[in-house]
Amino acid sequence: MSEDKKNKNHPDNDQDMMKLVDNLNRKEDVNLNRRAFLKASFGTTVALGLATTPFGVMSAIGNDKEDTERIEIATADELAVGEAKNFNYPTEDEPAVLVRTPDDQYVAYNNKCTHLQCPVFYEHKDNVLLCPCHKGYFDVNSGHPIAGPPQRELPKILLEVKDGKVFAVGREYRHG
Amino acid sequence: MDKKRITFLSIFLFLAINVISLSKVIEGYYGQEYSHVYTFMIVALISTGLATIAFFLWRKEEYKR
Repeated sequence: MSEDKKNKNHPDNDQDMMKLVDNLNRKEDVNLNRRAFLKASFGTTVALGLATTPFGVMSAIGNDKEDTERIEIATADELAVGEAKNFNYPTEDEPAVLVRTPDDQYVAYNNKCTHLQCPVFYEHKDNVLLCPCHKGYFDVNSGHPIAGPPQRELPKILLEVKDGKVFAVGREYRHG
Repeated sequence: MDKKRITFLSIFLFLAINVISLSKVIEGYYGQEYSHVYTFMIVALISTGLATIAFFLWRKEEYKR
């Protein structure tokens, strides 16, 4: 090993020692950090502010599509009280569940869990909608989460019962 | 409180406003509440503009000889 390499971590002249003292100038150090911290905070503020715009643009584009298609999903006597039926609404890719509750009311929700998109099932015994993946429970009458990890309600499908048939006529993401 | 300190602290206030606005915008977008998306997007953009003004005022004061 050469002599230079051996001594590379040892100050070999006064100039290096002076640099070391400069580096320990605490006041200067704090000032520089304060400035850098503010600049980083400002950059973050701008980045977060601008990050909202794509959502605004996508909302403006997607806002035109309304879920108002009217589809027949069941006949009124097809389901007994306490039974459920799966269907898709408003598109074939969006599964939903129709429930005839013990109060003899029809309710329907998109049945992708609002936690991690697992399918939600109707539990007749407890009269709840259950997501078995992480034990998320939803109120069958409102679609709102009552236990487990989900925080948001299930999208509600608006129904119309007419001439012995149940129709899906719209959808509300936020309700109740 | 002097101008430099006010501008310094206001940037953190605008940062907090933007964090909340972004979370509301995302929530509104996925909840299809488009009016919320537009409202909080405008709040975030105004806050960003004010933060920019505050930053330049702070810089002017900070680097003044």
